Amino acid sequence: MKRALVWLGLAAACAWSVAPFAWQVLTSLKPQAELERLPPLLPAALTLAHYEAIFAGHPFGRLILNSVVVAAGTAVLALALGALAGFALAKLRPPGRSAVLAGVVAMSMLPPIATVSPLFLMVGAAGLRDALAGLVLVYTAFALPLAVWLMTQFFRGIPDELYVAARVDGCSAAGAFAKVMLPLAVPGLTATGLLVFILAWNEFMYALTLTSSVAARTVPVGIALFPGLHEVPWGEIAAGAVVATAPVVLLAIAFQRRVLEGLTAGAVKG
Amino acid sequence: MRRAEWVGPRVRSGVVHALAALCLGALLAGCGPREVSTGHEVVVFRHPKLFGDPAALERLFAEFERESGIRVRSETLPSASDEQHLFYAINLQAGSREFDVFALDVIWVAEFARAGWLVDLTALVPDADREDLFPGPLAAVTWNRRIYALPWFVDAGLLYYRKDLLDKHGLAPPATWQALVDAARVVTGREPGLYGFVWQGKQYEGLVCNALEFVRGQGGDLPASDAARDASLRGLAFMRALVIDGVAPPFVTTLTEEPARVIFGQGRALFLRNWPYAWQLLARDGSPVQGKIGVAALPHAPGQPAAATLGGWQLGVNVHSARPAAAARVAAFLASARAQKALALAYGYAPPRRSLYRDPALARAQPFLASLREIFETARPRPVSPHYVALSQVLQSELSGVLTGERAPAAAVRAIDRAHRELERR
Amino acid sequence: MSRARAHREAWPLVAPAGLVLVVVAAVPMLYVVWLSLHDRTVFRPPTFAGLGNYARLAADARFWNALGNTLYFTVVSVALELLLGLAIALLLARAGRLRAAAYGVMLLPWAVPTVVSARMWEWIYNAELGVLNYLAGARINWLGDPLLALHAAIAMDVWKATPFVALLLLAALQGIPRDLYRAAAVDGAGPWTTFRRVTLPLLLPVMLVAVVFRTIDALRVFDAIYVLTGGGPANGTETLSIYAYKILFQTLDFGYGSALAVVVLAVTAVAAAAYARALRGGAE
Repeated sequence: MKRALVWLGLAAACAWSVAPFAWQVLTSLKPQAELERLPPLLPAALTLAHYEAIFAGHPFGRLILNSVVVAAGTAVLALALGALAGFALAKLRPPGRSAVLAGVVAMSMLPPIATVSPLFLMVGAAGLRDALAGLVLVYTAFALPLAVWLMTQFFRGIPDELYVAARVDGCSAAGAFAKVMLPLAVPGLTATGLLVFILAWNEFMYALTLTSSVAARTVPVGIALFPGLHEVPWGEIAAGAVVATAPVVLLAIAFQRRVLEGLTAGAVKG
Repeated sequence: MRRAEWVGPRVRSGVVHALAALCLGALLAGCGPREVSTGHEVVVFRHPKLFGDPAALERLFAEFERESGIRVRSETLPSASDEQHLFYAINLQAGSREFDVFALDVIWVAEFARAGWLVDLTALVPDADREDLFPGPLAAVTWNRRIYALPWFVDAGLLYYRKDLLDKHGLAPPATWQALVDAARVVTGREPGLYGFVWQGKQYEGLVCNALEFVRGQGGDLPASDAARDASLRGLAFMRALVIDGVAPPFVTTLTEEPARVIFGQGRALFLRNWPYAWQLLARDGSPVQGKIGVAALPHAPGQPAAATLGGWQLGVNVHSARPAAAARVAAFLASARAQKALALAYGYAPPRRSLYRDPALARAQPFLASLREIFETARPRPVSPHYVALSQVLQSELSGVLTGERAPAAAVRAIDRAHRELERR
Repeated sequence: MSRARAHREAWPLVAPAGLVLVVVAAVPMLYVVWLSLHDRTVFRPPTFAGLGNYARLAADARFWNALGNTLYFTVVSVALELLLGLAIALLLARAGRLRAAAYGVMLLPWAVPTVVSARMWEWIYNAELGVLNYLAGARINWLGDPLLALHAAIAMDVWKATPFVALLLLAALQGIPRDLYRAAAVDGAGPWTTFRRVTLPLLLPVMLVAVVFRTIDALRVFDAIYVLTGGGPANGTETLSIYAYKILFQTLDFGYGSALAVVVLAVTAVAAAAYARALRGGAE
């Protein structure tokens, strides 16, 4: 009996999480005429017209490309810098490291609205407005606190002896890092990289203010600004939403174990 | 590193006046294509994407290039008005020369003029033209008695109605607001599932347009002058009463242009307030209301003039442009009767010149447009102020407050007046 | 390998990350405070205004409205996320084989961009064609009534963030030693007592962490509301970030807008500091 209740509760929780997506997918497949009426709930026929429309009428492909470039670029940069810093803080243990870590955590609490106006002016002055490079730079800073924190935790989880042994064997710090620590940190790197990718893919406010044309616009901004002058095309918005979220959803599901490790490592420290 | 941005708007506009006058003087002195015969000068024109096949615009530019030797490069912007505003403001403030001529929403002209970003184009509008233009757009592009942009397209609020339903119940299209309310009550009482009147009540710029039509239709205005205060209060009370009495559905506070148009287009509403663009969508093949709808000027209180809110686009010249003379010629060309007629025929965009409405070719090809002349004649712009964007934020929230019942009309009017006074002081 | 040498080698490795953070995060933080002390619009060159913007802010009814909306949004959504997250975590803890599948499904709301969720929910909340009103059989004006709209936004935020809280709590739950439960059972404790005396105290630190994360996120909410309502109706959903954004990027008043942004920063910092203190207290 109790088992049944638990399963029921879980089913409800899962349904609650998934139902809006299911409805959105359904909406994206409904012919236009059926979208303007509510009963019936299920469409008589399915259509891919909305998916075609978003790539034909709107530069959606370009938006996806931009998002991929920016998110991947951010992930790579944040991982590189974060892994180095995390390794140094966890293994080399310099004095003042707790202050540094506290500072890093504090940075992660920065509300984007607080830095968006100065960044807007700074990025403009540097000539990086409406450029993917500008976004990658800003996003890296946005994601670094998370990356540094997570990599520090992951490196802490690797026994010191392995590092010491490598040094004793004659490796330089960089060598030990590259040959011994990095391979062992792959789960941590994956988890961190995924989280940073998802974070960068989903970011909205900086993308909204630091880009002004399709050349650098990312998917979330495209979805938010979808209605053009004279349309609220629910079918196309739904199709856009499905396409926009497919990459991160697939990543999250495929690598869910890693993602969960990352999420919990950030918070639950023994 | 960018050079200093602040040469003082007054000083700069003075210098620009002189420069513009010089260039235009040289032009108007019958010089013709002298300075451009050596090569093709390229002028960059930024505008929102036009609603239709871009080929017609390109053809127009090709003709212009043949005549003047100036090539126009057309660059489009996303259609969201806020985005365009931000784009222009940021680039113009930074002294960008990347575009020469650009299209402005009717509400930005005073702001851009005061900021010193627009070339004074008064010389391009001789008296003959001035008399040909509708007064509304002319007022919107005038700042400190000088003209800073050329009216390009005009737009105004209209009343769409279900002709078939009104005929069925023996009613005429309403000329007064009270008549509209009465008609709505009669018809919705007898036709189940029909909304009376749908319009744009969401908290956004469109609400300001709609609310001004209610308020001005009573003889009031926002911000309210003392003389017109009572009328303004009546207008706001009327707006709120539409929802309380069920003439407008409560969710009118979530409607923008398209959602309202869709409801009417599905046959679920008796009256719709919207812009002229909706006509094509409502009257086309496959529309459930094809052949059943009519269009009229918005109602007003008895004895008061009609008061549709003005929309539309204007052409401005970037004060930092490297080719102000050529840019001015392009702007003048686009604003000329010939170009506007071509664009009206191709895109159905309404020209701001009276004379074109008497043109038989236009009347034949775009009869709907031609029928709107009276409405454009009396269309009134929103408050012409450099601080309009900030004022609009206050207007939007106060009007939304009145509409949802959170604010009493008197308090709203006071708040709007106070904000207006404070902004004008800055 | 001496300790000192290790320390020396550390800083060049930390430096690149530090540099990026300083330039792109720390400097703008100082710059925004600097901007907030100036009068900076498009109509005149920037002039120093001291605390003028802050004085204006204190007298600004719209600011207090936005602050109130932000605090209400934060308190209610975090409370709901905590309760629901705990319930779901307890369910997941007993799920056995189903857990992995449930994880994946429940990660979806978190993984999706907030603006996409907002668009989805905007469609669901649609008064005429939304599935919510269809199921409810009524024409509820979800997004058109100031009070309802704020709660609709809260509901959306809860939907999106609860999985995150649930997973955090689940990880903590799984870390509680079985022996404690066995001991409690031996002592004859019922399920509620066990929960109150064994589970809850051990969960408290992680609950606090979850609350901190969610509070910080809720205080700076922007994406969801920008798309769902734009701040209306009647500024009923206008939060501090939305207000600051409109002032900065619509009216282009960089001085006053920066002052508003600094307030958001300050409120967030105060909340973070308060929780940090509580965390340290709880750890002892």
